[in-house]
Amino acid sequence: MSFLGSLRQKTPFFDKIAESFTPAISRDEKFKYEYRLPAEENIIDDTNADISFVGAYSKIMAMSRSKTEINQKSPVSYVYSGRLYLTPHFLVFRDAFDQYSCVLVMNLSTIKRVERSPSESHSFALNITLYSGSKISIQFIGLRYRSEQFSHQLKLNLKNNIETAKNLPQFLSTCYSEFIITKNILHQKDLIPPRAGLGQQFKYPGRAELDKEKAKLRLWFEYFKENGQNMAIVKNHMFQKLIRVGLPNRIRGEIWELCSGSIYLRHANSGEYQKILRDNEGKTSQAIDEIEKDLKRSLPEYRAYQSEEGIGRLRNVLTAYSWKNPDVGYCQAMNIVVAGLLIFMTEEQAFWCLTKLCDIYVPGYYSKTMYGTLLDQKVFEAFVEDRLPILWKHIVQNDIQLSVISLPWFLSLFFTSMPLEYAFRIMDIFFLNGAKTLFQVALAVLKVNADDLSSAEEDGTFIAVLKNYFQTLGDSAYPESDDTNRRQITKFQELLVTAFKEFSIISEGMIIQERNKHQKGILQNIETFVKRTQMRQMPKTFNLTDEDLSNIYDIYYQSIETHKISMGTGSSSMSFDVFIQLLSKFCDWCKPSESDENPAFRKQKTDFLKKLFRKWDSNHLGELTLNDVVTGIDNLKSTDLLQLINYFFSLYDTDNDGELHREEVLQVSEGLLFLTEPWKTGRYIDLLTKQSIEDDIAEKLAREKFNEENTTDEIDLPSDVQVDEEKCKIEQSERYLKAASSFLQRSFEYAKSFELAEEIDLINFSDDELDGEAKKKKFNTLKANVALDPTRPKLLDLATFRMIILADETYELFFASTWGSSIHTDQPIENVMKNRPLRSMFDGIIADGRRVAEQVRRRVDSVTTRGSITSVESAGAHTINSGSVLTSSYGSSKEDRFDDLDDFSHEHQEEHEDLLGSSWVEMEMENEGPNSPDRHNLKTVPTRDLDSQGDLIEFEA
Amino acid sequence: MNSNVTSVKLVLLGEAAVGKSSIVLRFVSNDFSENKEPTIGAAFLTQRVNIDDHTVKFEIWDTAGQERFASLAPMYYRNAQAALVVYDVSKPQSFIKARHWVKELQERASSDIIIALAGNKVDIVEDGGERKVATEEGQKLADEEGLLFFETSAKTGQNVNEVFLAIGEKIPIKKPNEHANNANADGSNDNNRVDITSSDNNAAAVSGCNC
Repeated sequence: MSFLGSLRQKTPFFDKIAESFTPAISRDEKFKYEYRLPAEENIIDDTNADISFVGAYSKIMAMSRSKTEINQKSPVSYVYSGRLYLTPHFLVFRDAFDQYSCVLVMNLSTIKRVERSPSESHSFALNITLYSGSKISIQFIGLRYRSEQFSHQLKLNLKNNIETAKNLPQFLSTCYSEFIITKNILHQKDLIPPRAGLGQQFKYPGRAELDKEKAKLRLWFEYFKENGQNMAIVKNHMFQKLIRVGLPNRIRGEIWELCSGSIYLRHANSGEYQKILRDNEGKTSQAIDEIEKDLKRSLPEYRAYQSEEGIGRLRNVLTAYSWKNPDVGYCQAMNIVVAGLLIFMTEEQAFWCLTKLCDIYVPGYYSKTMYGTLLDQKVFEAFVEDRLPILWKHIVQNDIQLSVISLPWFLSLFFTSMPLEYAFRIMDIFFLNGAKTLFQVALAVLKVNADDLSSAEEDGTFIAVLKNYFQTLGDSAYPESDDTNRRQITKFQELLVTAFKEFSIISEGMIIQERNKHQKGILQNIETFVKRTQMRQMPKTFNLTDEDLSNIYDIYYQSIETHKISMGTGSSSMSFDVFIQLLSKFCDWCKPSESDENPAFRKQKTDFLKKLFRKWDSNHLGELTLNDVVTGIDNLKSTDLLQLINYFFSLYDTDNDGELHREEVLQVSEGLLFLTEPWKTGRYIDLLTKQSIEDDIAEKLAREKFNEENTTDEIDLPSDVQVDEEKCKIEQSERYLKAASSFLQRSFEYAKSFELAEEIDLINFSDDELDGEAKKKKFNTLKANVALDPTRPKLLDLATFRMIILADETYELFFASTWGSSIHTDQPIENVMKNRPLRSMFDGIIADGRRVAEQVRRRVDSVTTRGSITSVESAGAHTINSGSVLTSSYGSSKEDRFDDLDDFSHEHQEEHEDLLGSSWVEMEMENEGPNSPDRHNLKTVPTRDLDSQGDLIEFEA
Repeated sequence: MNSNVTSVKLVLLGEAAVGKSSIVLRFVSNDFSENKEPTIGAAFLTQRVNIDDHTVKFEIWDTAGQERFASLAPMYYRNAQAALVVYDVSKPQSFIKARHWVKELQERASSDIIIALAGNKVDIVEDGGERKVATEEGQKLADEEGLLFFETSAKTGQNVNEVFLAIGEKIPIKKPNEHANNANADGSNDNNRVDITSSDNNAAAVSGCNC
């Protein structure tokens, strides 16, 4: 065992070098990582100090006890110089010499008494007595007031910790280290040993060497006596040495949790494991199903896992973890790792150990994308290339898939690769030294077998060599040697020496550095892989191209910031708030604008978006999936006019009866107001406006030509067009308002006559005695009432709704193209997000020069025939599809000169409400009264829009 | 004796629990007992098949089925010359997944990869269970994408050897000089005599007929 001496850590220097290349992690993070402390243990204060630790049952203590008080001579104990740290629940000391001679990690709960030391010098010292009876003296070095501060903080923390400290005895009763001390020193009878892992009942794997086992346990017993145990322990070189020779089975679990720091989690979260199990009892999930399938495939050769007892414990730990960390849930290989842990640990110990394992030892290994696994295989390959270049060359030349072969070593921590007894030995060191152990052992496996592997030219033989090697680890490494001692060295011992001697250079820092180097590429690969997968699983769409889908995918995941695709963490569903952000990124009508300052508009916006959200939410979970969003956008982008109208209607027809109630009609109208806001305020222009501008230009040109008496063969379009922007925008705005008001008018106009037939019948039956006049009066009342009467809610069916929309060219155009083309999924997210250069909306207005030219020609022709120029015909709806869709190409119109338009829109908002009110103002008073705060200004005088109402009402249904 | 052996790297892909491992187990050791060895990442198995006077040696990577292992798949199909994409005829979702794997392979794997599609667990249908993916659907996908197509049962062994033979026949043979002209590349010869011999254990031999 001489090699053990050389295994002493010689790597801090390399760690330091590597550190300078890696991105900085905070001091607290580093500190917590180094001492495996729970996440909340940030450094409160730290100071230089000299300390000495005297174990409760140490030789020194025994000596001092035997001395008479008169002859008091301070017992000899080592004093270490180093740095002392205080965190909310811990005191941590680290020697300055080699940082392994004395590392004290002490939970504050273990402190029984703190006294200021009667010191001869002026320096400041504390004497601490622990629950166990161990004594620690701390001699502060530095300014006195800083030392005072430190001890003041310590006092505060101790006070805060009093409640927790009460649970310490209970907790210690679960620690085997406590048990062997009590049993062997205090000789207590009727001691109940703490609960153990399955191995205690089902035998530990490997040959039982009871003598060796007992000797090792005794060494640990001696160690605890001198250096403390569990929650307050000094870890020194001996600690590491005892671990390297292999832990005795009975105490293995506790040392694992001590090295990993999971013992601190178990202490701090007492009862949580049982609570998780209780709270989730009977629940099912995908993880639970997957766990169930694998329970019988987890170390099936080990006897405990052929029994209900073992299977039951395994089930509990895996399910509890899947509930605790749903981001990971359950990953195959965790079953094997936990099965291994449970041989030495209780359920609760294994649960916390697994937590620590997933968090810091093998981060990302078991995540939903397993990025950590992929990353570390890359890192491993880099190490092989660097450290074993000849073998690496052979591997590359023969196309051996090394990472595929080595992946299970890492993923299941060698449990499936080598006999368990050896895998556990590696685990001993793994928990002590961290993930680098896996790399060191894996490299050593290749190195030891390098000769045989170099003659393997395909995966199969390569695997066979390794498989054979792992199965014969217990054999002599030098069977041919004449030296008996040498012959006794097993292959496993040889492996350890190679791993920890030759590859001791592989440090934590190097691993972090390599991981950083490859991380980006790995994550990117995963992201594109996940994207490919998801794109293929998207629902069938009719109006979206692959490019659209790709853009939607990007925007979707960019919106859910909490979700990390490559890490497979976080929810991949979308809440309502995020949904709004999503739409505002590529839908003109959802982009933030000045209108948002208007509360009425904000309400319209929220109401409409809520309806849309509910419609898209296919699973009624209050969350959207990517597929929901894709299907939803696909529907909105429908190029079929009627289909889109139907879709819009269905947003409001929540009970799906094909009819809208009175309230719903009002909501529809509000929804339309919201959707058309950008055009109403002139932020964008629609095709009709565009055509009217073109017509204007054409007319002007035609007039000029007519005056010049030119031939009409060649028409030069002016490069610089003067357009009266204000006029166009006001016209468009009025057109939209007119559309809105006529929509309401027509809706209710039509609805009234629709319901009337039945009403008259009713009247006839019930009111026979009424004379014609009274009947008519009543009829009129009913006629007006029917639209609002809550007992007769049916108003507008789909067919009527469609006709009403189609009767208005602005709204018809809106559904035919304006709306769909205002949804910009055709550009990558960067372009959509980019502020498009602000250029005048009216630049390049003549998108279709040919059309203008044609118009000019037509006009000139008609002028020559009729001799006069007729007024511009408004472009009919039939021409809608002939023009290219323009709206999308205009920049958002935050230019100064349009500022006054915002007020304008605001006015119109009110005008619309007036309109809304005036048509049933009486009924409003009778039926609804104060229930309609939205329409408080009902009585204001109708504005000029009402003047034009006359012709709007002429609705031919 | 066959002196010329062609090695074929084959990867098995498909949703969890469609029977990938069972198909391999049936093929490699003509067994259908429950796989006691858990698959971590991928299991590696080999099997030799004699086609005419040459031997095709399948080096099979049987991938883990759990969804999250999918992101490891590119590691496995990277150099594969053949792929067997498996779905469960009683699970439509697994067919969707199979479609995905076919696309993935065509886009990402080596361009001349031979892909076979297997609709597994047809024994369930014969036992009166409900079939959810029609034979025609599988055939249609195979025709569209140019795949070999079989409906198989690892449980009864139906068509399992046939899938591998069909793949083996499409593999370009490594020809030592004198055999150059004898190769029967299209595999349509009715007189194919086939021996399937376990690589690990030469005693267990299964013979099948490709018709």
